[in-house]
Amino acid sequence: MNVIYELILIVFLFVCAIGAFLSERLLIAVVIFMSYSLVMSVIWALLQSPDLAITEAAVGAGVSGILFFITLKRIHALKGTKDE
Amino acid sequence: MNIETNFFKRLNDWVNGEADRLFPELHETDAPKPPEPVATIGPLPNKDVLFLTSYQAVALIVVIGMVSILLYTVYKLPLFGVADNPAVNEVVERYVEKGLEETGAVNVVAGMILDYRAFDTLGESSVLLLAITSVMMLLLKDEKNTDPDEELIEAHEAVIEDHNRDMILQTMTIILMPAIMLYGIYVILNGHLSPGGGFSGGAILGAGLILFASGFGHNRVKKFFNMKTFRTLTTIALLGYGVLKTYSFLLGANHLPTGIPLGTPGAIFSSGLIFVLDICVGLIVACTMYGFFSVFSRGEI
Amino acid sequence: MIRFLTDLIGVILISSSMFVFASSVLGIYRFRYVLNRMHSAALCETLGMMLLVSGLTFLLGISWHSAKMILIVVFLWMASPVASHLIARAEVLTHAHITDELEVVDDERHI
Repeated sequence: MNVIYELILIVFLFVCAIGAFLSERLLIAVVIFMSYSLVMSVIWALLQSPDLAITEAAVGAGVSGILFFITLKRIHALKGTKDE
Repeated sequence: MNIETNFFKRLNDWVNGEADRLFPELHETDAPKPPEPVATIGPLPNKDVLFLTSYQAVALIVVIGMVSILLYTVYKLPLFGVADNPAVNEVVERYVEKGLEETGAVNVVAGMILDYRAFDTLGESSVLLLAITSVMMLLLKDEKNTDPDEELIEAHEAVIEDHNRDMILQTMTIILMPAIMLYGIYVILNGHLSPGGGFSGGAILGAGLILFASGFGHNRVKKFFNMKTFRTLTTIALLGYGVLKTYSFLLGANHLPTGIPLGTPGAIFSSGLIFVLDICVGLIVACTMYGFFSVFSRGEI
Repeated sequence: MIRFLTDLIGVILISSSMFVFASSVLGIYRFRYVLNRMHSAALCETLGMMLLVSGLTFLLGISWHSAKMILIVVFLWMASPVASHLIARAEVLTHAHITDELEVVDDERHI
């Protein structure tokens, strides 16, 4: 049962990794990358390394996503703001 | 016959440049649009064409070579989990069997990264310091890379932003931020007892600071966390880490008796230096995370 | 007997949470505008997670783990509606022709 669960997560990981660089808009790529980090943290927890899981969830899905968003705002790449 | 000669005549005119279009009747049925001015690029010089073609060919060859080298390496790797792999040696056994006894940390991972391999962790903390230093070199505002107009616009936007703070976010920040901070401090202080430690706890602390900054603005954060605090905390933490482990680093021995009693395993004040080193790493990571956010978004801390 | 009843309640709660998740995913694909989609996504986050975690709590019985699960629900109910509210606010503030998308137009909008 656990193996099936891990396989589903790994397939989702592949889909996220391919979708992140195939997406045309940078914002969507960042969101897909954040979901990649979230799935990765669940996989770390299943592989019995909770230290890495906590760090991945906090850094990968939280802080690095915020930094990406701020960078997109700084380079005026967000749609809907007055700069575009 | 008539049509064909007509066609060849038109083709001849078109090739010679006397007629604009080969099939004018096709274009007349469309809505006549004035042709948009297109920036004309002349034919590339012969040298450039040669360069571009050879560049693509060389790039293809390099990529195929790299991919085949990597695939060959993967093919030659030992199988996962086989007993006579080079990764399965006495080091792992020593860490797992004697880790608790020698370092006093119930969490073996903390004992490994902060005691046996403390030099590694010092390098990782220095990498964080290096990253925030280079970001500050690029993005920090001073009198040389700002002009008055830009500053005026930014001050105007800051005033508008201050008047349009979201009340729901502020209320929930007041409720949630103490819980987040408490959790971060718990993860840092319990690094040698439970999963977690300096890196994860520091990231949680930094995320809490970022939440507060996005709810209340940078000026409220500046009252308790400004450039001076940032410099002091980072320097003290990194220097403290170095000084505490100098003896072991200089002598090149990864495990020397420090004279600090290890305490009973499982108690909060146990495992010697790991407790202090965890706090140092956590401070560095928290300062770096908030520093990234602040320098990226405002150009100052 | 009591064990059977709590298990039954837990299974019913988890099944209803699965229904909520499925319908919200359907809504995300079916709706065509950001605010409508966010309506179904936010429902999935709050109601679905509450049903799922409370069902797991019933299956687990009374222990420290179930207390932690209840704490997860409390913090999720605090954080997730605020996040949805902020996304919706950003959409309303940055969409230039928001009245084209709204079916009910209030002339004195206070955003």
